[in-house]
This record gives sequence, structure tokens and C-alpha cells, in this order.
Amino acid sequence: MKVNFIQKIKLNFVNNPDLSFAFFLAIAVYSYFALSTEMFASHNLSFAILERFAVLGLIGLALTICIIAGEIDLSIGSNAALCAVIVVKLTDPIGAPFAMLIGISISTLIGFTQGFFIAFLRVRAIVLTVGTLMLLRGISLVVAQEKTVMLTDFRVPDFITTKMLMYFSPASLMVIFIFILVGIFMRYTKYGREIYAIGGARKESLAAGVPLKRPLMIAFALSGFCAGFAGTVIGLKSGTAQGLGLQYLLLAGTVAAFVGGVSILGGKGGVIGAAVGSLTVNFLNTGLVFYAMQVHFVQFFTSVLLVVVIIFQTMSRIFDGYQTRKSYLTIIDSRSKILLEKKKNLNIS
Amino acid sequence: MINTTNSEIQNQQISYVDKILSYYKERTLFSILLTIFVILFLYGIFSTNNYLTIFNFKTIIRDAALYGIMAIGLTFVTLSGNFFLLSLKETAAICCVSFAVGMSTGFGVEAWVGNFAISLSVTLLIGLVAGVIQGFFVGLGNNPIVVTLGGAGIMYGLAAWWSDNLVVSFRRPHDAEWLGTGSFLGLPTITWSFILFAITAELLLKRTNFGRKVYLIGANRAAGKATGHENFSMAIITFTICSLCCAFVAVAFAAQMSSAQANYFSAEFGSSGDMTILVIATVLVGGNSIMGGYGSILRTSVGAVFIAMIDNMMVLNGLNSGPRVVGVGLMIVFSILVFALFAKGSRAQE
Repeated sequence: MKVNFIQKIKLNFVNNPDLSFAFFLAIAVYSYFALSTEMFASHNLSFAILERFAVLGLIGLALTICIIAGEIDLSIGSNAALCAVIVVKLTDPIGAPFAMLIGISISTLIGFTQGFFIAFLRVRAIVLTVGTLMLLRGISLVVAQEKTVMLTDFRVPDFITTKMLMYFSPASLMVIFIFILVGIFMRYTKYGREIYAIGGARKESLAAGVPLKRPLMIAFALSGFCAGFAGTVIGLKSGTAQGLGLQYLLLAGTVAAFVGGVSILGGKGGVIGAAVGSLTVNFLNTGLVFYAMQVHFVQFFTSVLLVVVIIFQTMSRIFDGYQTRKSYLTIIDSRSKILLEKKKNLNIS
Repeated sequence: MINTTNSEIQNQQISYVDKILSYYKERTLFSILLTIFVILFLYGIFSTNNYLTIFNFKTIIRDAALYGIMAIGLTFVTLSGNFFLLSLKETAAICCVSFAVGMSTGFGVEAWVGNFAISLSVTLLIGLVAGVIQGFFVGLGNNPIVVTLGGAGIMYGLAAWWSDNLVVSFRRPHDAEWLGTGSFLGLPTITWSFILFAITAELLLKRTNFGRKVYLIGANRAAGKATGHENFSMAIITFTICSLCCAFVAVAFAAQMSSAQANYFSAEFGSSGDMTILVIATVLVGGNSIMGGYGSILRTSVGAVFIAMIDNMMVLNGLNSGPRVVGVGLMIVFSILVFALFAKGSRAQE
């Protein structure tokens, strides 16, 4: 059957309630703030939202990839903090490009190693990453010598936040580029499909010959890369980095991933969902700035968003189960009817 | 005759050695932990000044008691196969603030100011509600990590809102002093309550119907469901126990400091890293299986004392917070790796 473009999009939404809920939430949050505060729907604020998207979008993307693979990476905040500390510390002596290269490759390597151990030892990622959360935090404290590391040369932060094309800056352009690349990778390459396979149905795909190590290692390396890049952007933008900082990223990134429609069981969700989810969280965070809220209130409302999404997912799962049970019951009923008729016929004859 | 008796005795001796060896083989991680424990203890005695004093021993046990009690609560959750809570320190924070508010203002009622019983019961009620709500969501089939991550944000927000993000303090001669700074037979009250909690929990797990159900559901959820023990009620009960333990620790801590703040248990407030990860570390380092169904309170208690001992040794050697956090992190990763290596292919894995 041939479907035209609009029908295709429509089908996409109908078949994917989580993604439609994500769009609904994003539009709801945006329109609430746009209607209640005058400043919200303006060009400058869109630029500010995209600036925040450069950080949070990456974390949301990293967690989305991990959750698609059926695991969750709790060490993401520590990984980003470590990368931020390294980059900020090295920018002065060796220049920003090399510092970024070193920092991001260390983060990617950390993610890769985690993926290897998870696949090799068959431990759950939740367990191992709780350990590395603490370990990486300690290492970044040691690297930063328990102090706040600072840049002295502020040309790099200035360059990163220059405005281009009305809404974008070099950082957010890079992040959008990464999003497109990862999206193509996850959707159209064999390695990307393998990540979906081991997340959605691990035993079945292992039986079908999908290796366990490669997709897990790729997923965690990608997540480490994204975390490192986010840490770099944060560190270079503000010019400072702390060993203990960036722990709030885990909550924000998880909320972004879950709003974007991933399921903790794995195999669901995608890059578009991650983008929409992190934009939703950004709308919320930016909108709350207008109410002059303290940090813990932002955290509170982000958690409320997470709870809303959890309730939606639970309800839809229970509803799905109810419907499947109902359809099974109708099948059983019809079959028993046929059998009864056969029995009657036998008795008559 | 004589020969046979000799051989019998020899046989008996061999079997005795075998018994010990097999005990060690069955509990690989536990025995490795005990060995490291002894080695580090000896190292501590010879390398660190003031290590082997009764005062220092009391400090270690006291430190261990604070997160040991939380870890005992968490052990129930872990044993029932629900991984762990990421909202431990936030539960403690909101309970801490509630207790301090109760002691200083009596929740707005003039007659209740400084009333220990009412403050305690309101605090325990808050812990109970927090546990029941989170357990309910987990019981419906959601991932405990995600649910408690959300719960953590909400509870921290509420605690900070309640206390205006300030220190809530109450005056020093108060009714709760026996719990915070008092001591009994030379040991602090909190240590005695740790011992009491540990014994009660161990008896509950090993000797009662409920405890065996916890093990059953942790070890084999499908079998549990088939025999009518669903994870729904178990999640609610275990989460409630864990949250109540957090509430108790919060009360003891607030009584000790005679003040409370929302970030008393987080990373900025001294100690090695934040409380949540430290408690999870305690459960993991002791050698409990994170997949559930395997472990005991004894392991958790040993883990608590172990972490407190190493932390204490590092403090006495003048290390900063960075290396100390690295030390705790290394311990967690090491115990996970060793446990995974030795448990490969056994029931401790999926």
C-alpha cells in the first residue's frame, strides 16, 4: 500500500503514543509560558533556549541511547564534570581545540570501558555505573584539587556564545549537527539497529546472532562522548568547572529522555524524541526563571514532569495489557463457540 | 581398632577443614572482604597514629551506625530485587527538616513546641508516606531508579521549601538529647540502635514468613508470582521499611546537631560524597547480590564498618576529600567486578 507523506506522518503519530505525548507536553509547556509571560515567545529567548539545549540536549541524547539499549547510565553527571574540569584546566596551557580533543576522548574511553565491562561481566549497568559515579566524581575532585578551576583567557567562551543566524551559536550548531549524525546512525546503520535489538528483546536478538558486546560498547561510548561534549560546552561557556558540580544533569537528562518517549524496558524511543524531550525541559527551566524561583523549585517541577510521564506510561501499559487480555478473551470465546457448535452437530448426527 | 579410630579422627579433622574451606568458597566476596578487612586493620594499626584507641573505635562505629541503619533498610529493597532507591538522602532531608520544625515551632501549635513524641511520629509518618507512594509506583512495574529519581527531586524541593533553605535549629536542652548525643554503657545511643536494628532485621529476614518471601521474590520473581506473592505488595512494604530507616537516621542526626537543613546529607556537607551513594556502596561492598535474593544483614553491617574504617583511616592519614571519594568509588567498583566474576553463570545473574 502506498501512502503519501502526510499520511505517513499521521501513521507515525498514531502508532507511537509516547512521541505524540511528548509533542503534546512540549507544546503545552511552551504555550503555558508564552501565554503567562510576555517575554517568553521572543527571538532572544529562543536563542537562550537553544543555548541551554546545547547542554541538556546532549545529556538527554546520551541517556536516550543508553535506555534504548535497555540500560541506564547513572555516571553521566560525573563524566561530564570530569571532562569539564579537564578541558578548563588544559585550555590555558595547550589551547582549546587540543583540550577539547583530550577531554572528549577521555570521556568516550570511559564510556567505552563501562560498556565493555557491562557486556563482558553481564552485570546490570545500573549497578556498575553507581560505582563509577562515585569513582569519576572522586577523580574529578582529585584533578581539580578540590578547587574551582577557572579560565584566564576568555576569548573561547566569547567565541562559543556568539550569535549567528539569529537563533544559533557555534555550540548549538555543533549539537544540532551531532543530533542529525546520531539520528542517521541509529536509524539507518546496522550498528544502530543492533542497539535497538538488544534493548527491545535481548534474549531473542542474542539467539538470532546479534553480538552483545559491540552494541553495548557503541551505546556507552556514544553516551560518554555526548556527556563529555556537554561537559566541555558547560565548562568553556562559563569558564569555570568544579569536581562536585553537574550532578543535576542526571535528573534533567532522565526527564528529557523519558518525556521523549523511551521505555525503561528498552528498544523504544529515538533521537527526535530526545530532542523534543530536552526542549520541553528547557522550556520549563527557562520559563521558571521568569518567576524568580530558587534552584530547588526548578528541580521540584522537573521531577513533577517526570512523575507525569511515569504516570502516563504506567496508564498506557495497564491499558495495553487490558486490551490484549480482552482480545485474547474474545478469541477464546469465539473458539469455544465454534467448538460447542461442533459438539452440538456431533450430538445431532 | 586403634588404626580405625585414628583414621576416623583424621577424617573428622579433614572434614572440618573442608567445611571451613567450603564456607569460604560459597561466600567468595565475603571472604575476600574479610581478608582485606584484616589486612587493612593490621596496616592501620602499624601505620597510623592513634588508630588503635577506644575513642577512635567508638568514632568508627558511630560513623558506621549512621549509614548502617539506612543500609539495613536498603538491604530489604535490594534483597527483594528492586535494586535501590536514589532518594535516600532526600527522604532523610525532609524527615530531618520535619523533626527540627516540630521541635522548634511544634508545627504551628504552641503546646507542641519541643514535644519529642509528636515530632517523632509526624516525621515517621512522612517517611511512611514517602515509602508507600514510591513503592506503589515501583510495584506497578516501573523502574525503581527512575521513580526514586523523580521522588528525590520532589522531596528535596519540599524540604527546601519547608525550611526556606535555611538552618532550622532548636535549643540545646531538648527531649531528644538522649538519642543524639547520649550514651549507654559507654557506647552512643545511635550505635546501640544500629545493633538493635541489625539484630531485628536479621531475625525478620531469616526467621519469619515475611523475610523468606522477600528472599523468594528477589531470587525468582516468576516463581513468587506463581505462588501468589506479587512484587506489588512487597515493593510497598520494603520501600516503607527503607524510608522509615531513613527517617530514624534523620531524627538521630537532627537530634545530634540540634538543627536541620535540606542539604545536610548531600555532597556539599562534608563526608565522602553524598549519603545516597555511600549507603548503596555499603550494601554493595558487603557482598549482597544487587539482583536480589542473595545476601544478609550481617554482610551489610560488615560493609558499613568496613567503609567507616577505611574512611577513618584516610582521614587520620590527612587525605583530602578527593582521594577519599576515589577510595569509596574503587571499593564499589571492585566489589561489583569481583562479585560479577565469581557469580558468572550462577543464579545471582539473570
